[in-house]
Amino acid sequence: MIATLQSSTSQLAPSKHEAARGIEEARLDWRSIAAIAPAIIILLGFLFLFFYGVFQSLTDLKFGRPLVRFIGLDNYAALIKTADFWNSVRATVVYAGSAVFVQAALGLALAKLFATEVFLARLMRPVILLPLVLPPMSVALMWTTMMDPQSGIMNYLLSLAGISRFAWISDPATAMFSLVLIDVWTYTPFFALIIFAGLQGINDEIREAARVNGAKGWAIFLHIELPLIAPYILIAAVFRLIESLNQFDIIFGTTQGGPGNSTAVLSVRAYITAFQNLAFGRGAAVMVVNWMIVLVGTFAMVKLWRFVRQRVS
Amino acid sequence: MRFRRSTATNLVLNLLVSLCALILAFPLVWIVTMSLKQQAEVMAWPPSFVFSPTLDNFRVLFDVAKAGATSYGTIKVDFLTPITNSVVIALGSVLVSLAVGVPAAYVLARRDIPFKEDIAFFILGFRFAPVFLVVIPLFSVFQTVGLYDTYLGMIWVYQVVTLPMMVWLSRSYIEDIPKDIEEAAAMDGARPFRVMLHIVLPLLKPGLIGASLLIFLLAWHNFALGLILSSTKAPVTVALLKLLNPGVQFYPVMAAGLVLTMIIPVILIVIGQRHLERGLTFGAVK
Repeated sequence: MIATLQSSTSQLAPSKHEAARGIEEARLDWRSIAAIAPAIIILLGFLFLFFYGVFQSLTDLKFGRPLVRFIGLDNYAALIKTADFWNSVRATVVYAGSAVFVQAALGLALAKLFATEVFLARLMRPVILLPLVLPPMSVALMWTTMMDPQSGIMNYLLSLAGISRFAWISDPATAMFSLVLIDVWTYTPFFALIIFAGLQGINDEIREAARVNGAKGWAIFLHIELPLIAPYILIAAVFRLIESLNQFDIIFGTTQGGPGNSTAVLSVRAYITAFQNLAFGRGAAVMVVNWMIVLVGTFAMVKLWRFVRQRVS
Repeated sequence: MRFRRSTATNLVLNLLVSLCALILAFPLVWIVTMSLKQQAEVMAWPPSFVFSPTLDNFRVLFDVAKAGATSYGTIKVDFLTPITNSVVIALGSVLVSLAVGVPAAYVLARRDIPFKEDIAFFILGFRFAPVFLVVIPLFSVFQTVGLYDTYLGMIWVYQVVTLPMMVWLSRSYIEDIPKDIEEAAAMDGARPFRVMLHIVLPLLKPGLIGASLLIFLLAWHNFALGLILSSTKAPVTVALLKLLNPGVQFYPVMAAGLVLTMIIPVILIVIGQRHLERGLTFGAVK
């Protein structure tokens, strides 16, 4: 009782200094909120649209039709009954999985090569950035012309090696391989840049100590460098996995999902369903499935990343 | 201290580096040469490496009046409009992201507000937003509100890509500035707004220029948003795809278009390599 009285008196008569600080903090907060509000409002708008999209996937919305009915999970039920849908799921996972896997391996090699800091490596550093700064659509069309079975330079280079004409993106059997190749060319530098940063973070003394103890180059790499850069490789893989599961530009720019259905990943199927067949509800449902695959994939990768990081530290 | 390599190892490593650089750069070089060729030369087998360069393909891209008068039949393109559109949309997106994102980034870097880290991650989460799930409902909304195919609508929707990046990049640049400088100024009686204007902003300028370069690039890259939410205001990436008419493949004209879309990013590398590297790997490496 006395304690509460005391505290209330102290509240009633705070020191002048404290009062001034209190007002200032409140004012600062008000300012801070005003500064951050526009960004939050814009982004909340997008978040709202996102939920609205999820809601649309539960309706039979078609463009130009005035009456929209809530149909629950019917869109999803209809989707999982078609072979096309499962083909798209498979294409999405195969595309992203193989692209990220190959990029990680090649990116590691590229980073190691440039980390040697030989003369040309220092000179050519900016070239690594080149594929990353080009618009993915330009990359897609660039490779479309180069992979032309009749006149493309790729087949010419293969013919120099004695390999006869390759169909590239014009044959269902080779289209997916060609797309992964394009993705690998474009985004291997992303892995290389991140792994390169990881390699630079390793203290030279650690390598030196290992060398003094008689470890050979390969052993140093396998037992000292690789565990230390593994978290970098995995975090890059998380970023790339998300983006390649969502990849649209490169696939739409080259094959538009064809030939046949061979490269119709979920994002391309969603576009065709929503904006060519004008079945917005069904298209949104395809995108929700794509998004869930992204979530599951990311979650698994982040778990792996945490596990590896804990073991390193 | 690095150990010394033998001359042979050095040579091999240098050769390997050149091979990688060749693989990364060759497609671009090839497209540039293709844009300077005639249609017949492009379709020739084996490909011709020696030819007399022509700028005709670039003329076709911009010559709306004389469309159809090309040596390879009818092709009608207006490439100037989409380039203008892309520049307007990308610049507008950068400006809006700067105006809205930098104050937010400053608060997230320096001030204590409730749920600060949650807000920061909410913003970063948009880097992984499934764009189509936002765009499918937005299409109907834009049609109703009248924002479909307008610069204003495009710049607004581009914020889903550019704004989160701007907030995170400038937050990291602000955190690079020593806090003492601001505190000293505040001790001398400078108001928070003046501290921001006269002390933080000048120190932040190089970082903001770097961030703006990257954001411009992101906006320049975008394809899906323009494909769905615009027609006459479509960006250059959408116009490129239209150059690839099914059946009639005017590869050299398309190559010229490609060269135009790729010039700007290549120039940006030359201007701000360091900043681009930081931005492109952002989130994974600080």
